[in-house]
Amino acid sequence: MDVNQAKQEHLLALKVMRLTKPTLFTNLPVTCEERDLPGDLFGQLMKQDPSTIKGAESLMLGEMLTLPQNFGNIFLGETFSSYISVHNDSTQIVKDILVKADLQTSSQRLNLSASNSAVAELKPECCIDDVIHHEVKEIGTHILVCAVSYTTQFGEKLYFRKFFKFQVLKPLDVKTKFYNAESDLSSVTDEVFLEAQIQNITTSPMFMEKVSLEPTIMYNVTELNTVASGDDGESTFGKMSYLQPMDTRQYLYCLKPKAEYAEKAGVIKGVTMIGKLDIVWRTNLGERGRLQTSQLQRMAPGYGDIRLSLEMIPDTVNLEEPFDIVCKITNCSERTMDLVVEMCNTRSIHWCGISGRQLGKLSPGASLLLPLTIFSSVQGLQSISGLRLTDTFLKRTYEYDDIAQVCVICPYTSNEC
Amino acid sequence: MDAREAPSQRPDTLDITMEDGSNAASAGDSLEAPSNLVPFKDNILPQEESIDLGGAEFATPHEDSSATPSESLMDRLNDQMMESVMISDSPNNSEEEDVAPMDSFLDGGEDLKPAREDEGKEGSQEQPFNQLQAVFSGTDDPFATALSLSEVDRRHDAWLPSEETRKVLISVATQQYSPAYVESSRLTMPGLKFDNLQVDAVKDLMLRFLGEQAAMKRQVLTANSVEQSVIGLKQLVSSKNWRAAVDLTGRLLTAHGQGYGKAGQPTSHTTDSLQLWFVRLALFTKLNLFQNAELEFEPFGNLDQPDLYYEYYPTVYPGKRGSMVPFSMRLLHAELPQYLAKPQEALDRLHHLETICLAILDNLEKGLAEDGSMVTLTQENRQASLKLWRSRLGRVMYSMANCLLLMKDYILAVETYHSIIQYEPQQRVQLLSGIGRIFLQIGDVKMAERYFQDVEKGCQKGGPVTNTTCVLMNRAFVYLSQNNYTEAHATFLEVLKIDPKNPVANNNAAVCLLYLGRLKESLGQLEGLVQQDPTSYLHESVLFNLTTMYELESSRSTQKKQALLEAVACREGDSFNTQCLKLA
Repeated sequence: MDVNQAKQEHLLALKVMRLTKPTLFTNLPVTCEERDLPGDLFGQLMKQDPSTIKGAESLMLGEMLTLPQNFGNIFLGETFSSYISVHNDSTQIVKDILVKADLQTSSQRLNLSASNSAVAELKPECCIDDVIHHEVKEIGTHILVCAVSYTTQFGEKLYFRKFFKFQVLKPLDVKTKFYNAESDLSSVTDEVFLEAQIQNITTSPMFMEKVSLEPTIMYNVTELNTVASGDDGESTFGKMSYLQPMDTRQYLYCLKPKAEYAEKAGVIKGVTMIGKLDIVWRTNLGERGRLQTSQLQRMAPGYGDIRLSLEMIPDTVNLEEPFDIVCKITNCSERTMDLVVEMCNTRSIHWCGISGRQLGKLSPGASLLLPLTIFSSVQGLQSISGLRLTDTFLKRTYEYDDIAQVCVICPYTSNEC
Repeated sequence: MDAREAPSQRPDTLDITMEDGSNAASAGDSLEAPSNLVPFKDNILPQEESIDLGGAEFATPHEDSSATPSESLMDRLNDQMMESVMISDSPNNSEEEDVAPMDSFLDGGEDLKPAREDEGKEGSQEQPFNQLQAVFSGTDDPFATALSLSEVDRRHDAWLPSEETRKVLISVATQQYSPAYVESSRLTMPGLKFDNLQVDAVKDLMLRFLGEQAAMKRQVLTANSVEQSVIGLKQLVSSKNWRAAVDLTGRLLTAHGQGYGKAGQPTSHTTDSLQLWFVRLALFTKLNLFQNAELEFEPFGNLDQPDLYYEYYPTVYPGKRGSMVPFSMRLLHAELPQYLAKPQEALDRLHHLETICLAILDNLEKGLAEDGSMVTLTQENRQASLKLWRSRLGRVMYSMANCLLLMKDYILAVETYHSIIQYEPQQRVQLLSGIGRIFLQIGDVKMAERYFQDVEKGCQKGGPVTNTTCVLMNRAFVYLSQNNYTEAHATFLEVLKIDPKNPVANNNAAVCLLYLGRLKESLGQLEGLVQQDPTSYLHESVLFNLTTMYELESSRSTQKKQALLEAVACREGDSFNTQCLKLA
């Protein structure tokens, strides 16, 4: 706790005390039975103790509030509250007292005092009290500068300052991972999954009140951290509602590009802004902290010049029976392409149709649908491979193997297959 | 949770100062003699001593029996047993309802002749019957009384020894008089390891801050200023002079031959010696001298050694079965490691206790006796036993929950507190409120509110006043967690309207005032309370708050703290934790 002695020559003393939340006093129950030597002595002692719970003296956690005994730690996002007391230690009346409290960080200086007006007079043994609050928004060294100016009864103007230094530490470690969903066949757009790993790097448990993703304008967010049951969903973390020191949790969000941006989604290149994580937590007796990450960025997966995706494909097909698929070819480059499609058979996959036909010109950003027919000669999970697209302008061929998978079964129950 | 520092243990100094000079050590006794207050038999060793057993005056504890010339192990055992006999508390003086083992009534009760060493073997055999009648002159049926007492004994002393111990006890039972020779590693050989703890921290502070004159005025009960017996011990305990009490237990145990330096030396145990150990170790714990307790507990092993059972002493306690170790001592032993940063070990021990309690309850429900033997119990006895063991189980669960809380395993702690409700339904309100407070400590205000609502639903209108105050306190804590100190303060004041002397509400209201920037008011309130009602308010937690606020108020806090010291000096015993005065 930062309480320094006032200099002897000053009439006023300035004391500062950080006001973290109080703690609950705990007891150490020592009991015995009536037949034991002490009889009911131990029980009586516990009942007379004002800090035990009456009727349940063995309960360790009492109800007596104890003031904080030391400064403790302070973390980014928490609120720094402090009691500032100016006490007239002298025997004379002091006039025109002005108390100012500033917070100096590496980047700025903030005024924290509630009132900026001077107090007219302060009698001996009286004090001026102020409680300041400040939400800490920077990490590192902070200095609370308290300045007191006053006039003695002889008209002498005096002034002194006190400095209280403290460190603000980082409370959470946040790591993010992006997962690109395989194109959902019923929708045109791509979904991106964000996994946020949050680690508690403080020394006390944290209750995560809210962890939400605020998306940018391009996306809609679905949070995937509750299990639907009853009215409120139950958290996926179940009863484990708090995070112990050094524990990590993963939160999952699904981002879907909005309809108006859907078309562009396929051709988004480079870095895009996904959104911000907003984290609110609480510790002892509801002490609150809040942090937002900076904009999370996602590197769009490179599709190259042409993107081939499957629009329609059955899950299961019969052996040696032709089935239809529909491919979507998107021109992700900046120039127009003139495409020719070729199909190559593999050991298990046999293409039907004309190989080497022209698909026509495709402008940048445009896409076309290509229906094709295949049949498989091997049972089991087969991978569809063997598509080749050639851009006749640049004479460049793009190969597409393992585009999708299909399950091939034998429809006959006899041993003929 | 607040950190408590255990005061460093006092190094052992051997000087046990005896008041009235030492009496020679005890005479021997043959093993046929039962326990307390045994008439001396023939083979008395040459030295005689007078044992003043009448009335309240007991002889001062003897020196260690190492002074006795005795050759064999048997003789040494005899010595120990005699000493333990003399210090036992006689039922006439005892405040307990359940009196000493019934054997004592068969031998010759407590209304005694002073010098029993004169009696020969022959004479003693006639005496018991005379004395038996004398003791029971008021009651109709001495045997029924004796039997009912033995029922009480049986259910309290029941225990399930481990397989090894059971074997040893069986072998003792099959041999008539002498206990089978058990390897010394399986015997309990305790001894004091600390001596002369009596240091009065308050007096020390007074010397430093208030001067020698003031310090001289400090009056506390010491081990010397009370009767050297259990009565004196109880005085010291109830007046909160626990350090003196520890010293007195040391003296009484020394008389049992288990004094300083006796650890590792063969000895024998009685109900009384074990109770003394329990009190000593419990007081160490209350004084936060956990290491001291651990070191002196060590020779007791896991409290399952054969010589801690009544069956091991068939001649001293004929027919008696079960463990001499008080259940509370087992509990203390189990809880201790958590205060020494070994909470997992505490949990293991507590689970073992729980298992045995459940096994005993199971036996009772099946119609057997507690230890599983096919003894039929009357309905009344069975119910009484079930009640006892259920309450013991509840107590074990409290310990487990507290330990889990200390380990910060909040989820398990909450579950365990919850499950206590079925054993102690009358504590439902307090338990649910306690769970709510745990959630507030975690920061989960919503969950806490849910529990507090549960409490409120369970409290009907017109119920006991304590329920209303409980509901209000819970509400105040929620306001606190929402940073609404104004409402929290107002709610604590509402509690005071119902219960003006409630120390918790008063303290908490003052704390709220500080957070509202009203230091002077808060100080005034707390100071006033301490002055008007020091019994309730000269407590660690309140004084911590008061001294913290003194330091915040001005540079002249030392004077005010000294005033507190003076108030403490007049009233508090030697066990007062002076750290809260912040004068160091």
